[in-house]
Amino acid sequence: MKWSRLTRVGSGYPFAVASVAVATAVLLPLRGLLASDQMTLLYIPVIGLVARLAGTGPSAAGAIAAFFAVFFFFVPPYDTLRVAAPRDWLTLLVFVGVALISGRQTALMRQRERLATLRERDLALLNRLSSRLVSAESASELAAFVASEVVDVLGAARCAVFATGAAGAVLLADRGVDAAGVGEQALADWVVRNDKAVGLGDVDSLPVDERPIGVGPAEAVDGVIADGIYLPLQVSEGLEGVLYARPLAGHMVFPAHKMRLLVAAGNLTAAFLERVHLVQRAAGAAALRETDRLKSTLISSVSHELKTPLAAVTARITGLLEQDSLTDTRRVRDELEAVEADLGRLDEAIGDLLDLSRLEGDAWRPRPDVYGLAEILGSAIARIPGDQRARVSFDVPDGLPGVLVDFGQLARAFYSLIENALAYSPAGTPVSVSARTLGADVIVCVEDEGPGVSDDEKGKVFGKFYRGVAASLVPSGTGLGLAIAREIVRGNGGRIWVEDVRPHGARFAVSFPDSDATGA
Amino acid sequence: MGSPERPRRVLVIDDEEQIRRALRSILTSRHYEVASADTGEAGLEAAIDRRPDLVVLDLSLPGMSGLDVCRELRAWSSVPILVLSVRDDDQDKIAALDLGADDYLTKPFSAGELLARIRALLRRAVVGDAGPQVVTIGGLMVDLARRVVTVDGGEVRLTRTEFDILAVLSRNADRVVTSRMLLETVWGPEYSSDLVTLRAHVSHLRRKIEPSGGVPRYVLTEPGVGFRLVAGD
Repeated sequence: MKWSRLTRVGSGYPFAVASVAVATAVLLPLRGLLASDQMTLLYIPVIGLVARLAGTGPSAAGAIAAFFAVFFFFVPPYDTLRVAAPRDWLTLLVFVGVALISGRQTALMRQRERLATLRERDLALLNRLSSRLVSAESASELAAFVASEVVDVLGAARCAVFATGAAGAVLLADRGVDAAGVGEQALADWVVRNDKAVGLGDVDSLPVDERPIGVGPAEAVDGVIADGIYLPLQVSEGLEGVLYARPLAGHMVFPAHKMRLLVAAGNLTAAFLERVHLVQRAAGAAALRETDRLKSTLISSVSHELKTPLAAVTARITGLLEQDSLTDTRRVRDELEAVEADLGRLDEAIGDLLDLSRLEGDAWRPRPDVYGLAEILGSAIARIPGDQRARVSFDVPDGLPGVLVDFGQLARAFYSLIENALAYSPAGTPVSVSARTLGADVIVCVEDEGPGVSDDEKGKVFGKFYRGVAASLVPSGTGLGLAIAREIVRGNGGRIWVEDVRPHGARFAVSFPDSDATGA
Repeated sequence: MGSPERPRRVLVIDDEEQIRRALRSILTSRHYEVASADTGEAGLEAAIDRRPDLVVLDLSLPGMSGLDVCRELRAWSSVPILVLSVRDDDQDKIAALDLGADDYLTKPFSAGELLARIRALLRRAVVGDAGPQVVTIGGLMVDLARRVVTVDGGEVRLTRTEFDILAVLSRNADRVVTSRMLLETVWGPEYSSDLVTLRAHVSHLRRKIEPSGGVPRYVLTEPGVGFRLVAGD
C-alpha cells in the first residue's frame, strides 16, 4: 500500500522516469542480442507497472521517456538520436502508441479495482449494520456497534451516538479516543434542538435529497468549534438522535466516500432507533389492553364469587321472613345452617382473593427457612375438614432433606392442592400425598383418582378463576386455589406442574431444590 | 355449640373501627357479649370494669403498645389473651406470647379461625389452670400423672425428654406453645435458645406418636414461634 501514496504526494513522475532509467540500465547489455523492435516489447511491462502504481499521467511520462531511451540506446546507430533504417521510425511510433494506450488502460483498471474494493468494504459495513438492525436487542447495543464500526472501518478518531432525550442529547455509546471533544455535548444538544448538521464534510457526491443540511463548525454554539461532523438522525416523525464522528488527527474533513457511509450508517441507526420506539409504544398499548382485559375478567369473577353466596343467603333469609310464623323450628334451623355454610364459602372466597392479591402485589413476600416437608404437610392437612381428612393418605419417608421455603405460604399451597384433589375426585376415593428426592430436588406429589386433567386443560388449570371441565362436580371453590399454589411455589423458587395418573386421575407435583444441595 | 348459661364476655382492643365492628358482629351472632376499646389505656380500664372472660388484643396500637397492654394485664389477671398480628410481625408475636398471651391469629383471618381459637381458649379457662390428668386427642392419650402415652390403644415408649415435651403440649392442647416456653419448662431457663436440640427431640417424638406416613397430625409446627398440639375437629 505504501506505493499507492506516490500519486498523492506527486512523486509519480520522477518514479516513472527512474523506472525507465533502471530498465534501460538492465537492458543495455542485451543491445547486441535483440533487435530494436524486440527491445521495445520489454519496456511495455515497465510502463504497465508505472501505470499500476502511479496512475495515468506518470505512465504517459514513462512512455515518452522509454521512447527516447529506445531511440537513443537501441535504434542503430546506437547512442545517437538518428535512425539508420526508415523501418525503425515505424517501430518507434508503434511502440510509443502501444505504451501510451496500455499505460492508460492499466491505470484505469487499477482505479476501478480500487473503487470496487472501497465499495465492497462500504457494502460490507452497511450489510453488517443492517443485519445488526434486525438482531440488536437494544438501542445502546446497536449504538455501540455503529460507533465501533465507524472508528474501525472509516478510520475515525472518535464516534459517538446520541439519542434524543427530554432535555437534549443523551449519549448512547461512544468509541475511539476518549475525552469527549470540547463542547461535544453542547453541539449534540444544538443538533437535537435545531435538527441540522454541524461541521464540514464532502457531501457533493451525495444525491441532493440526502445531503445533510447544516452549518459550519463554528456557527452552532458560540465559542465552540466542531472538530468533526454531527449528523442529525432524522426519521419521518422527527429526530431520533445524533451521530458524531471526528476524523483522524491531521484531517479536517471526511472524504466523499466516507461521508456517504457516515450518512448511510446514520440513516440505519435512525431507522433502528425509530423501530425501538415504535415497538415500545406498541408493547405499551398491548400491555394496557391486556391489563384491561384481566381487570374485567377479575372484576366479573370476583363479583361472581362474592355474589353467588350472598344471593343464596339473601334468598334463604327472605324465604324465612316471608312466612307468617316461624313455628317450624326444624326448618328454620336447616335454613340457618345452609346460611352458615354459604357464609363460610363467602369467607373463604374473600380469603382466597386477599391471599392472591397480596401475592401478586408483592405484599406477602416469602420468608424462607429450612423446614421438613412433613411438618409443612401436617399444617396443610390440619386445615382440611375432619370428614375429608380420612380420604388423604401420606407417604413421606424419614430422612428427607429439608427445603428452604416460607412455611406458612407452602402450607397454604399444599392445602390448595389437597383441597383441589379432594374436590375433583369422587367422594370416598383416596387422595395420596407423597414426597421423595429426585436428583438434587425434593418432590411432593398429590394424586387423585378423579377424571384427570386433559392435555388441553393442563396449561389452564393454574390460571385465575379457571374451573375445570369437571367443575360441575364441585359445589364450591373459587377457582383460585391452584393459582395461589402456583404463585407461592414460584415465589419460593420451586416448580409446579400437573401430569396424568394411569388409568385415570391427576398428579400435581411440586419440586424444590434440596436445601443441603443449595448450601442453605 | 350449646349456649352457656351466662353469655361469655369478650373484650376487643383494636384501634381499627372496621375490625371492631366485624368482630362485634361475628361474636354477637355466636352469643358472645362484646365490649370494645380503641386504645391500650381504654382497654385496660375496660378489663377492670367489665371483667371479660377473654381479651382479643391487636398488637399494633397507637400510643400504649399491645405488648405493654399484655404485660400490664398479666400483672393482675390470668384472663386468656388472643393477640392479633400482621404477617410480618413475628418478633412482636413471640414477645407477646412470652409475656403471657395465650395464642395469636395472623391478619387476615377468617371468622372460622377466630371462633375456633376463642372456643379453645375458653374451654381451657373453664377447666382451670390445674388441668386434667389425662388428655385425650383423637387416638392419642396422655396420662400426665402416670406418665403413660398410648396411640390407638397401644402403649408408646417415650424418653423422659420426649414425654416432658408432650406433657407441656398436652397441658396447653390447642394452644400455641413457644419454643422458649418448651425449652425453659423441660430443660430449664439456661437452655432457652437451643432450638436445634428442641427440634430434634420433637422430631423423635413425632416419629413415635404420629400415625404412619410421616406427616404430623398431632404436633403441628408454628413457624418461627413453636408448636401446637391439636385436638382436631
